[in-house]
Amino acid sequence: MTVRTAFLTIAALAAGVAAAATASKAWAADDPAYALAIRSHRFSPAQIEIPANTKVRLVIRNEDATPEEFDSTQLRRERVIPGGGEATLYVGPLPAGSYEFLGEFHPDTAQGRLIVR
Amino acid sequence: MAYAPPAAAELKVRSPLVEWREFEFEHNSLLTFDRRKSALNGNQSYTFEVGYGVTPWWQLEIEIEVETQALAGQNHRLNARTIENTFQVLPQGKYWADLGFFVEYSNSLIRGEPSEIVVGPIVQKEAPGFFGATTLHTVNAFVTREVGHNRGGRTGMFVAAQSRLRLHPLLEPGLELYYNVNDVGRPGRLRDQEVLAGPVLAGAYALGRAGLPGKVKYEVGYLFGATEQSARGAVRWRFEYELAF
Repeated sequence: MTVRTAFLTIAALAAGVAAAATASKAWAADDPAYALAIRSHRFSPAQIEIPANTKVRLVIRNEDATPEEFDSTQLRRERVIPGGGEATLYVGPLPAGSYEFLGEFHPDTAQGRLIVR
Repeated sequence: MAYAPPAAAELKVRSPLVEWREFEFEHNSLLTFDRRKSALNGNQSYTFEVGYGVTPWWQLEIEIEVETQALAGQNHRLNARTIENTFQVLPQGKYWADLGFFVEYSNSLIRGEPSEIVVGPIVQKEAPGFFGATTLHTVNAFVTREVGHNRGGRTGMFVAAQSRLRLHPLLEPGLELYYNVNDVGRPGRLRDQEVLAGPVLAGAYALGRAGLPGKVKYEVGYLFGATEQSARGAVRWRFEYELAF
């Protein structure tokens, strides 16, 4: 295999994956959305229920002046959200169960749970 | 024959995800086992890295590597210093798979050995699993190229793949595979290439639950060599501490 062939092969693979992944863009836009606020270093609501085996969007708005990090090892999601900022996380499809999340900067108060039914 | 130069401890599967405003402190190790008088026996490789999510889509890491080659009677020596860049191409979980791109420059600190550039895509996919758990599948497909003084003009290819069952955040068993071709211009037969595969165990713990800042992650694996150019066995481990600001 030549150098040129190796590079072209890798580039083609990457382009193929990107094309396949983004082909689902229209579907992604239809994912149900759930709002979550960070207010006084607490999540509101502290518990959100979502359907099982369904991809959803968590739209997280940080209403505090200071940043917070949404962190969940169970969901494998973490995101720093600046004060006054907003972030969208795509979660699922998940099997039924309970998934904890917390605010890493204020773990004592910023605690929440995603209930999947 | 050495593993993919210059960082043998870089036998790890990379993630396409960038954590903005987060520092990472990472340590990787690799110990090899082979016949007693083999050049592949008793080698040690360690890397120490500091990384930071500069933007929501770009992570920068700086790394140094220390290695020992037992048969050569070498004590620990600084092998290379490396700059790594991970670019997150797609938002996590939004599309069918997560996609990133990796670019690395490794400056060899060994007289007579070339430096190296590594580039290539990273693909990761979460999928339904069993026992009520999801699975995580990751593939790195990199092209490597010798650069600078002492370069031999070789272009190599390195493929790493890992699949894990996410039973619990602290306990994710899986399997992984590493495949290295030092020179794609003269790949030879499969037995002339390095192929290792084996079980791996990974996990993560958010220290906030213990009233401490940050998160710790680990990976521990044992690799079986599948070709003559591979060590018969190797133990690898990875420890990481993350802290966001």
